[in-house]
Amino acid sequence: MTGTANIVLFGVNHKTAPVELRERLAIPSSRLAEATLSLVGRPGVREGMILSTCNRVEMLTCQEAPEPDLLHFVHEYFSIDAATLRPHVYEYREREAVRHLFRVAASLDSMVVGEPQILGQVKESYSVARDVGAVQGNLDSLLQRAFSVAKRVRRETQIGSSSVSIASVAVELAGRIFGSLEGTRVLLVGAGKMSEVAARHLIAHGAHSIMVANRTRERAAALAADFDGETVDFDSLYDVADRADIVITSTGSEHPIFRREHGQTFLHRRRNRPMFFIDIAVPRDVDPEMNRLEGIFVYNIDDLQSVATSHHADRAREAEQAEGIISREVERFDARRGAIDVAPAMQRLQQRYEQAREAELRRMASRLKDMTPQQREAVDTLTRGLVNKLMHPPMQAINAAAREGDAETIERIGKMFDGTTGEDERR
Amino acid sequence: MYHFWLRIALLLYGLASLAVLPAVLYDRSEWRRIAVPAAAGGALFQFVALAEMLHAAHRWLPSAAHEVQCSIALLLAAVLFIHYARLRSLSPGVLLLPFIFLLTLLPAVGPDHRLFPTPTVRSGWVVVHIILLLTAYGALIVSMCASMLSLWQEHRLKKKALSGRLPPLATLDRVSYRALLIGFPCMTAGLLVGSVLAQESFGAGYFLDPKVLLSFALWGLYVALLFLRRTTGLRGRRAVYLSAFVVMVVLTVWMANQFSAVHRFAAP
Repeated sequence: MTGTANIVLFGVNHKTAPVELRERLAIPSSRLAEATLSLVGRPGVREGMILSTCNRVEMLTCQEAPEPDLLHFVHEYFSIDAATLRPHVYEYREREAVRHLFRVAASLDSMVVGEPQILGQVKESYSVARDVGAVQGNLDSLLQRAFSVAKRVRRETQIGSSSVSIASVAVELAGRIFGSLEGTRVLLVGAGKMSEVAARHLIAHGAHSIMVANRTRERAAALAADFDGETVDFDSLYDVADRADIVITSTGSEHPIFRREHGQTFLHRRRNRPMFFIDIAVPRDVDPEMNRLEGIFVYNIDDLQSVATSHHADRAREAEQAEGIISREVERFDARRGAIDVAPAMQRLQQRYEQAREAELRRMASRLKDMTPQQREAVDTLTRGLVNKLMHPPMQAINAAAREGDAETIERIGKMFDGTTGEDERR
Repeated sequence: MYHFWLRIALLLYGLASLAVLPAVLYDRSEWRRIAVPAAAGGALFQFVALAEMLHAAHRWLPSAAHEVQCSIALLLAAVLFIHYARLRSLSPGVLLLPFIFLLTLLPAVGPDHRLFPTPTVRSGWVVVHIILLLTAYGALIVSMCASMLSLWQEHRLKKKALSGRLPPLATLDRVSYRALLIGFPCMTAGLLVGSVLAQESFGAGYFLDPKVLLSFALWGLYVALLFLRRTTGLRGRRAVYLSAFVVMVVLTVWMANQFSAVHRFAAP
């Protein structure tokens, strides 16, 4: 790692951008590798990784001169006007980028603080970026550290156990609509991990039965078997959806699956009994117009946040502790990064002194040829000690400069000891 | 003698009119087992009474007012039984049986045919009549309030405003519907008792009283409200509008006391 590579994190998340914009920026996992390659193909991007989840689209980059314009990249790649994007994007650099990444991985920046899925999503993005060669030394060590920090936060705080997951938020909302969940039927559209967790919560709170519809029927059947539920053919989704009181959708469809006219049909068949749609897909699976129908309640991923935030007070203490861990870890990473930055200068210094010592010993070799091995060893030890003592002041100066982030001084000290060996100088 | 048979028929129709409500509205089969035999018994005794009336008048076709009333009541009962025999459904009975009861009431009870043995017994039934109707009105108001709260809760859920402690939507809807289910039998029973009391005191003329007419209109609205809630799952904004309209009619019925010749029980 050299001092000239900057870590920059650029993106949007659920706090800065509405779901309408996030769904336009969402990158399906099938296109993540290609998008990552496009990113690192930009001049000035040495390494890069893209994290695309329903709550955020972020680009973690290691940059060098010339500094790349990531807003322009997003504008070009997604064909979204830069003026539309600008109010919603954020950019963190160096220490703040590291802090943000650690917070994301530790689920402190999640919509539902403490939810466990985000770490897996970061790891998946890392894996894709590494496979295409977009992550190397700089980001690799940063991301490995982020994973360790996330695990430490989860291990040392109760943030995970006290977390209010999407699932428990869904249960709470269903309670406000149906009162008791006893006897309610749940339909999972898309067999994703998050919807599976939500379904488990609903069952645990009294939901009567689960139906699963997925484009891959085998996956639906496996999930339905887990719940002792029913598999629904995706093609007959609209024929059976009205049997469900709660519909959880999480497909990768780029267009809404459920539209207003479907809602009207469902209500007619259900004699106006309410239906609750939990849309955790980005792009959304349920047309927002559905929410205008009397008796249909649509909550998308952003809406769930409003409920999740009401639980923030309960988690404030744990989050505070976790933030403390993050801060200490950022310090450590920063210090380590600084240490790695001065290593080349230290190495050059050591090499220069060692070369000078060896050159002097060679020059004196004819005079020392009559010495016994013990005497030779004593001379060797003596010269090494002398060199170490001489090296100490410049090394201290390099460390001090590193602590202050003074890369220029480090470079200057390093250059003082660059150049030729003692023998070369004599020639 | 036909008065005696008619009064037995009246009693049985009254029982059937009340038993049909839980049988249809609550799907309680045990009440069906009371409603059907009671209605059949009422029709049988009414047929006997009509036969006696016509025999006494030496004719085979009804021509006097009470003969026509009995005949229409019997025809309506026949329609109800044919419907029940074909579809095994008693739903029309909710509307028809009270009407049959009223048609039977006219010839069975009147100023010349006292039903209540003493004024004290009669006053007791007046109290029952008032309590039943007040309960029905109260239930309507509770139902409307629950519907309004339900509408408010729905609005909040749609706007994602989740603070506060309103009961769940389903609970409010349930309260609203159950209040109607409790109120309707009370109103039906109250009107039946009131009709008997008024018929005895004032004769058929009580049907022309504005308060009585509005009360029957209110009962019809109550039936419509229950029918809509039951068949279409009426809820939300439309339920509130309809409930509010029915409550407005209740208030109108209440105010109609000013113009009523029948509802002056306190007058000497």
